[in-house]
Amino acid sequence: MSLFSRFLDGWRKYRKPGYYEKFDYHWTMTVDLDKCTGCEACMMACQAENNIPVVGEDEVARGRELQWIRVERYWEGEYPNARLRFMPMMCQHCDAAPCETVCPVSATYHNQDGLNTQIYNRCIGTRSCAVYCPYEVRYFNYYDHGWDSPLEQQLNPDVTVRGKGVMEKCTFCIQRIRQAKDLAKDDDRRRVQDGEMQPACVQTCPTKALVFGDRNDPESQVSLSMDDPRSYRVLDELNTDSSVFYLKKVDA
Amino acid sequence: MPNIDRREFLKLVGAGGVSVGAGFMLRESTKHPREYLIPHVVAPEDISSGLSTWYNSVCSMCPAGCGISVRTREGRAKKIEGNLSHPVSQGRLCALGQAGLQALYNPDRLTAPMRRNGEGTFEEITWEQGLKQVGDRLDLLRAAGRGNRVALLTTGVRGHLAQLFESFMRQLGSPRLLHYDYDHPHTLYAANQQFFGEDRLPYYDLQNTRLLLSFGADYLSNWISPVHHSLGFGESRQGPADVRGRFVQIEPRMSISGAAADEWIPARPGTEGILALGLAHHIIAEGNYSGADRDAWMAALADYTADAVAEQTGVPATTITRLADSFVDTAPSLAIGGGSAGNHSNGVDTLVAVNALNYLVGNIGQEGGLVFNPEPAGPALQQHQASYSTMLELAEAAHHGEIDVLIINGTNPVFTLPPTAEFESALAQIPLVVSLSSFLDETTALADVILPSHTYLESWGDDFPEPGVGFSVGAVSQPVVSPLYNTRGTGDIILDLARRMGSSSVMPWQSMEEFLKYGWQRIYQRGDSQTLAQGFDAFWTSVLKAGAWGETKSGNTAFSLNPDVIAGIGVAPPEFSGSEDDYPFILHPYLSPNFHDGRGANLPWMQELPDPMTSIMYGSWVEMNPLTAQQMELSEGDLVDIQSPHGQLRVPVFIYPAIMPNVIAIPIGQGHGEYGRYAKDRGVNPIQILSPQLEPVTGSLASSATRVNVSATGKRVKLVKTGGTSRDLGRNIIQTTGGSGVEVSSVSSNSIPITEVTS
Repeated sequence: MSLFSRFLDGWRKYRKPGYYEKFDYHWTMTVDLDKCTGCEACMMACQAENNIPVVGEDEVARGRELQWIRVERYWEGEYPNARLRFMPMMCQHCDAAPCETVCPVSATYHNQDGLNTQIYNRCIGTRSCAVYCPYEVRYFNYYDHGWDSPLEQQLNPDVTVRGKGVMEKCTFCIQRIRQAKDLAKDDDRRRVQDGEMQPACVQTCPTKALVFGDRNDPESQVSLSMDDPRSYRVLDELNTDSSVFYLKKVDA
Repeated sequence: MPNIDRREFLKLVGAGGVSVGAGFMLRESTKHPREYLIPHVVAPEDISSGLSTWYNSVCSMCPAGCGISVRTREGRAKKIEGNLSHPVSQGRLCALGQAGLQALYNPDRLTAPMRRNGEGTFEEITWEQGLKQVGDRLDLLRAAGRGNRVALLTTGVRGHLAQLFESFMRQLGSPRLLHYDYDHPHTLYAANQQFFGEDRLPYYDLQNTRLLLSFGADYLSNWISPVHHSLGFGESRQGPADVRGRFVQIEPRMSISGAAADEWIPARPGTEGILALGLAHHIIAEGNYSGADRDAWMAALADYTADAVAEQTGVPATTITRLADSFVDTAPSLAIGGGSAGNHSNGVDTLVAVNALNYLVGNIGQEGGLVFNPEPAGPALQQHQASYSTMLELAEAAHHGEIDVLIINGTNPVFTLPPTAEFESALAQIPLVVSLSSFLDETTALADVILPSHTYLESWGDDFPEPGVGFSVGAVSQPVVSPLYNTRGTGDIILDLARRMGSSSVMPWQSMEEFLKYGWQRIYQRGDSQTLAQGFDAFWTSVLKAGAWGETKSGNTAFSLNPDVIAGIGVAPPEFSGSEDDYPFILHPYLSPNFHDGRGANLPWMQELPDPMTSIMYGSWVEMNPLTAQQMELSEGDLVDIQSPHGQLRVPVFIYPAIMPNVIAIPIGQGHGEYGRYAKDRGVNPIQILSPQLEPVTGSLASSATRVNVSATGKRVKLVKTGGTSRDLGRNIIQTTGGSGVEVSSVSSNSIPITEVTS
């Protein structure tokens, strides 16, 4: 079999709609914009959980901040009818991810759980994925930022510390997913139960605007939330088939 | 790694022969310099390498008193999350609470006791030296009957540490025990005391309310208990399937709560109470109140017709009547007030007016309204909250040489008091200033002796949240890691000082932990027979394990209004410092969601967390209405001079679409002169230019009552922020839907408004 036909085979296999549903888990998040208050607790939880360094004022001024989840803000109308709407934005874990197809070294790929993952030590820093990502949720390490001692004592031992020249982004806290799956295996359980694990942002959200779970389980909280009539996906017209569903803000 | 190089290796190989001996010798030779990942022959039972241990404790980053669970691995704290079984936080936590880890591992922590030497710099001393110097002085003063020349100034603490402070000062015979925090809601306490006759706050039941009117209270970011309010907000919004709670926010500058609200209503600063009475008038005039005291209310509110109130507040009369009607029609409803609305010269009257609204529609003692809290289960304490006037008295006493020793714990008045209080020069007049702070903040930098405390993650303590959640709650704060440095717990330091001044008969406890256990005996005694049968130790362990203790006893349910309150109701127009001609703008200083009153500014995570409303990081800015900025030909990043009758600041402009045209807003929190590398010399502190305008009932600072003028400097800086364009621009990213249906209504506009500033 030639290299090309192998590639073509793989492409057909993995690009078929519904392919991911045959896997055990299809991790999905919903964000209720009607509950989100923009408090940014999710951002802080992510930073603490995932060893995201502080890049400093100068780097932020150059647009090189590292925030796997960010809260976007959109103003509408003018005084006195001005309104501000918040929207948490993180990697959408698209099932047809534009970033995956452009990586020259396959550092970013889709795993068996429907997650868009990043292999740090394979990444060579072309930043193509960041260009192709319509949600702009991929962040690049322009420097080794490091931690002022003893702040490094806080680092989460379950998460790799990324070095210079590596792209990084939200993983849906894959370390927690792994741990939950391991525990489930050890307990002789077949599946991770709904609510057994939550990414750091979902765990801390003070208004419970974020919901996370397995879409393959029709009874899971996230499946119910996804089916809400308010549910939509951001930039859905791009056919990215993303795994993050937003629930429309209610204007009342 | 074995400390052995190639030459050594060959030598060993040669000596032992190449066969079996080589391996043996090599192994023997590498035995000595071995390093262990966990340096314990027998590891402590709570450390299993590779596994996390979770400890429940209490957050001390703000006064809310959330329960936390801290994840530790190999003896180091890794993550703070909310404690699921604590009724205040219920497993959730805000950004500042989670950043508490960086207070623990902050590179700028004070690591050992220090004393100011002859050259005015700090030199390290031993604990014995430091405690002896302070203890001897205290003992001398006490023996001479001059213990009242000692003052203890602490950040607001509750529970047994507060009791310890009280006994300590009683031993000295000094009344000068002051709890001082910039943001303590003095006016709210006073208003509730007047209206309800209780000196503790009620529980505001956001979770079950269907309509919330918030008069200036930024309940989702820093008013009283933001995490708990957020839980209630989420629950009220989308919890029940059929009804969705509606939230209305009344304030001159849109806060986070204003953005989350369904309706944001700008009322002229300081007229929030007048607006509340306008609503009350309409409720009664429409015949929607039928209480026996209806006539008294009507007489008291006669002047507050919708039209008159509209005139004063700038809120249209139709809005007033509509709000009043829906406040009656929607049940349960709730009105809360605080924040900037309480920080005016009429603060107490304003908040009494808000309570009146609750009274008229029967929200008091109701689910979804406000519920009275029972007596806290913690030690009975006197109220020591120091208002601005009390701090002025302290400063004056110091200037008159009446204070010999000042002990400061965790509060930073040099930063959070306006310079007109002359606190800095007062400190210079005190012969011995002792700071128990963990950081070299502005106040500690002026101390003579520093006895650094543990951070809250290293020390014992407890907390009884105030306000409670409608029933009694307590929690013990336990150390989650061993102390990093040569520091001690605040309680331990106080107990040591008490021993040195010969008070060990009254305060016999050797440590804070011992004292806590002693104090919790009393709470244990309240338990049911089952708890009592288990014994105190089992009770104590279970409290530590759960991280929370509670009992279902509720507060007062019967409430009758003192008729004098009705007669006294009324809100005078606010008074401002400075004339409108010279100072056309009203300064609206607000607590930064990131830094609270400035205490979070030394945490790099908080510095790099975008401000929720503006996305600005690392600096200060002044928010200005787009039209005002246009008239003054200012755009984003233009440096302006803000001048009040009492000072001047230079700060860049941010165009803020939701602020009144004659109001400018500056966040509090930045502008530190000390407080570590991350906070120092960054941004400005608006407290520095506040006029010393007082709220007369409580003597607290009317911090929203300063007038300023704004002048352009012609200079520009680039604001460090993450937000790109601030409008949706027809991309339909944020979608909205009508009240109940599923109709998509694209709210975005395709045109870029003229006020939009693109850099």
